Amino acid sequence: MQIQIKCSCGEGSCPEWAIIEVQGVVEVQPSFQDRLQNLEIGQLCRPSSQENYTFTIGYHELTGSKVALKKPMLVLKKVKCMDIDQSSDNQSPGTELEVVGIIRHRILFKTRPKALISKPQPVVKDRASAAAASSSVQT
Amino acid sequence: MEIMEQARPVCRGAGAVLNLQPSSSISIAYHTHFGPHDDLILLEVDEKLLPDFFHQRVSLRGERSEDAVLCTQSKTYSIKFVGTSNSVFLTPPLDNSILYENSEDCNGKDNHKAIVSVIKVAPGNMELVEVAPRLDKLKLLLSEYPYSSREASEFEDLEEMDKSITKRMYSWDDLVDEVQASDNELRSGLLAISAVEIDGYWRIVDEKYMSTILIMLLHNSVLNDWSLDALNEDEVVSMLVSDGFPLKLSHHCLHVFGSKVEEGAGGSCLWRLDERRVCVHFAREILVEGKRKMDNFMEEWKQKVPKGMHPDFEMLEGEVLKEKFGVESWVHAFSVSSLPSTPAERFSTLFRERPKWEQKDLLPYIRDLNVPGLSLEGLLLKYTRRTQPTLDAEPVFSAR
Repeated sequence: MQIQIKCSCGEGSCPEWAIIEVQGVVEVQPSFQDRLQNLEIGQLCRPSSQENYTFTIGYHELTGSKVALKKPMLVLKKVKCMDIDQSSDNQSPGTELEVVGIIRHRILFKTRPKALISKPQPVVKDRASAAAASSSVQT
Repeated sequence: MEIMEQARPVCRGAGAVLNLQPSSSISIAYHTHFGPHDDLILLEVDEKLLPDFFHQRVSLRGERSEDAVLCTQSKTYSIKFVGTSNSVFLTPPLDNSILYENSEDCNGKDNHKAIVSVIKVAPGNMELVEVAPRLDKLKLLLSEYPYSSREASEFEDLEEMDKSITKRMYSWDDLVDEVQASDNELRSGLLAISAVEIDGYWRIVDEKYMSTILIMLLHNSVLNDWSLDALNEDEVVSMLVSDGFPLKLSHHCLHVFGSKVEEGAGGSCLWRLDERRVCVHFAREILVEGKRKMDNFMEEWKQKVPKGMHPDFEMLEGEVLKEKFGVESWVHAFSVSSLPSTPAERFSTLFRERPKWEQKDLLPYIRDLNVPGLSLEGLLLKYTRRTQPTLDAEPVFSAR
């Protein structure tokens, strides 16, 4: 069986995806477990002209930097398609793989989170993000 | 943290993360369509392989029961999943038309800054490891139904053959479907086992039949006083055809036992029969029935090879083994071409044949092993135990 890996983007124009990587797991308050969609995780900040970043999740602040991946990563998408078999006149499900993006950098956070105990909420104080800000970082 | 930039509520893609300006911030949120998205896979790829992906020269090959391999035009890679305990938030670029029908829903109502959405938390990524092509299956498949003299004489063409037979025959496309190797490696594999394409199917020719054709070729050479070092392709082939052999097989005989000397100017090519290949063929023929006493064997071998060729026992390394039983030496056929091509199985078969090997005897049976990243010394280290009875004795290898 052979599965061709398709690519419709071409060499120079492969869309670039990004990775934000933290050590550990982001925990969401139980009441929001089933409604993750559109929930804010945190604030990504770049304080200066250096490639240093802070990521504030709930009342934890992580520090990290943008690094180039040692080897690029391709984002592949599995596509199930129906193949019409010419000879036997029946349809059989086939799988195709397609290159949908490339990743060359990630923002990596590998320090211990700093608890912002004196500043419980980093930015916006309205209700919507107050609920989201009850996300916390667990390592 | 000061937010210097007061933007309109905007949904931004990965670009906003990668190009985040100094003294600015963005909100990272779960995408409207956030989920496991098992259909999205991250694959680590060496920079130099990227063009093959972009130009669609890469495919996955294998049966459902096998571990899939990834093949470029010329190399084969196994695919390994490497997990991570980190949370890898994957953010797509802005244009999500590839992913979804609806454009990204932006939770911009209450915020005044850009939002970048995370579509998935990746559990890890796939890695590629270069491996030797899995060619043992090729020989197995083509040996299911070798091309024999019976087939040549009985069937004029494919139409006459029973469907139950043609089902066991394999075209190039069938082989690509079944064998886990890149196109180039598959072609080399076919060359290595002397396969020939007949009527669109790749075939191994039955040894007895090849022998018949070779003997007829040699017979004709004597009759017509042809030099075995300068055989005229057209003459040789047309005479074999008139003797009743198929055209394809007549050409194939030259390919199997000879080497092209030069392209004839405007005419036919010249071929030279390869002494080693011809002599090995006759040696194998003698030993097909079983082992023989060395003297006996050498005697018969000298008689069988064509005039002008000089059989030398050294030619048979990797083909024949010599054993001492008491005062007598006996030889039997043991061809490297019949052994498995994966190292573990190869050594296991070798040590079953003979528990201890001297290096000079062992080398011809392992030289062809191909393991990317492992040298011959490395292979010996990994799969054998080396002992040396005394300093000036030959090292001996046995199973680990």
